[in-house]
Amino acid sequence: MKFLKSLPLIFLIFLISCSTQVSDSISQTNYKEVEGINFDEKDKIDTSLEDKVFFDFDKSTLNNDTKKILSQYVAESEKAKIIRLEGHCDERGTREYNLALGEKRAIEVKNYLIIQGVSSSKIKIISYGEEKPISFGSTESDWKQNRRVEIALF
Amino acid sequence: MKIFFIILIYFFSLNFEAKLKIEIIKGSEELPDIAIVPFKSSFGRQFEYDIRDLINEKLTLFGEFNSLELERMLSFPFNEESFYRRDWELLSMDYVVFGEVYETEGKLVLNYLVADIDLKRIILRGDITGDKKNIELITKKISDRVYESITGLKGIFNTKLAYILNPEPNKYSICVSDIDGDNEKILFSSNSPLMSPDWSPDGNKLAYVSFEKGFAEIYIQNLLTGIRETIPTLGMSKSAPVWSPDSKNLAFVISMSGNPDIYNYNLKNNKISRLTSHYGIDTEPAWSPDGKKLLFTSNRSGSPQIFEIKISNKRIKRVTLDGSYNARARFFPNGKNIVFVHGNNGIFHIATRNLKDRFVNIVTQTTLDESPTISPNGHIIIYSTKKENQGYLAGITIDRKSKFQLPVKKGSVREPSWSPFLN
Repeated sequence: MKFLKSLPLIFLIFLISCSTQVSDSISQTNYKEVEGINFDEKDKIDTSLEDKVFFDFDKSTLNNDTKKILSQYVAESEKAKIIRLEGHCDERGTREYNLALGEKRAIEVKNYLIIQGVSSSKIKIISYGEEKPISFGSTESDWKQNRRVEIALF
Repeated sequence: MKIFFIILIYFFSLNFEAKLKIEIIKGSEELPDIAIVPFKSSFGRQFEYDIRDLINEKLTLFGEFNSLELERMLSFPFNEESFYRRDWELLSMDYVVFGEVYETEGKLVLNYLVADIDLKRIILRGDITGDKKNIELITKKISDRVYESITGLKGIFNTKLAYILNPEPNKYSICVSDIDGDNEKILFSSNSPLMSPDWSPDGNKLAYVSFEKGFAEIYIQNLLTGIRETIPTLGMSKSAPVWSPDSKNLAFVISMSGNPDIYNYNLKNNKISRLTSHYGIDTEPAWSPDGKKLLFTSNRSGSPQIFEIKISNKRIKRVTLDGSYNARARFFPNGKNIVFVHGNNGIFHIATRNLKDRFVNIVTQTTLDESPTISPNGHIIIYSTKKENQGYLAGITIDRKSKFQLPVKKGSVREPSWSPFLN
């Protein structure tokens, strides 16, 4: 029991030793106020629409199926305060290029939604490049699922 | 109490380790034969063998030499008088490393020599003094000198590797270890992706990209103090940071409304200048060793290709012509050759090229290769690749005489970044 009583102390010492190893001090900028939005996944609006649209390798063009899905979002987006678009790529090619490509994909979706009448100020985009795959294998069927833009309404 | 245990387990589980160990997968037949003799000392047999093993470990780390087994040695020289060349000619050795170690004023003194059997002469005589507790560093420095005397290239045994560790989905750590995998340290861990580590030229800082705030942001972390800083500029999504050779600038990519371009940020006066302004993707900058040019990847011609921009007049020239995908280039230290990711028909290899000619030299056989990094002496490439859903690091010497892997037990490792020469 004595050991158990001393656990919080051990834990505290552990925390302190951690914090000295990685000191997390960040210089103040006005950046966070400009772009930073905290999304809480709990607040996601359930739309029952397809929440992913897919792309060809190294392409950011929208095909007809994608456009059909996106058109359905126009009415739904009326209820939403924010539309979050997350661009992703498959693992092939280079990571930083894929980060840019994921962003291009999200932008293409954004532009299409704007043309359809969605207010551009509602749309927030982010790219994760190839860093967050859905399917972890290395076959075309894995890659197909990973080349995507995920749409979420808040 | 239960909660405490859970928290404890959570914190301990953050301490994932990769412990990279180099495994040679192919050594050429034509490797030089080297004999590393136990160093004579008054501290006993074990110490003599330990010193020898430490030097042997390093010189054979990348599979560049065939090292003679101790049992086959005919004599154990420790100075020029005790060295008989014919003993080593009989064993067809190319080089012999030998010496002695003693103590003066509480410090270790190591005298070491390298004999070139073909040339029939001693090509290196060196001595080094230091504390016994620094024996690891002492033997690294000896190995560097021996390596240089034999190959003409500076040794890289006292360098480090930074990499991204991904032990399980949605867990990311940025790590630094000695080049032999020892002393792995986790600099920062996050549940969001970490990317693109790059060393400052003095080896004291790392720049990298973190998504911890929900967007791609560049951090500069001091390796000694652990303090992290961001760059006070606006713009959504900052990525691909690279230090200029003079440490004064950091080139990186800022994407304004989905248009990634290359910028140069002056770390001294915080001034930022835009280098490219094309509506396509411009990313993956890499400095030339003289700091006058940057290579970068652009899809302005339809597919990703490597371009070059002169800093002084922003003039842009296309570099790669062959293949549908050429990206993430890095200069060799000589400024004449480059290494990059070369893709054709969905297969991605590491390739090298001389900037003066067009010939693309494919150096890897695996198909999902990326993120090549070059040793500071320009002789070895380490890159990341993938097998059975696991990312791992692999390497090759540019003469292709040796190939090696740095496997991990669990999860994936990627984006290696080789440190500069360290003191």
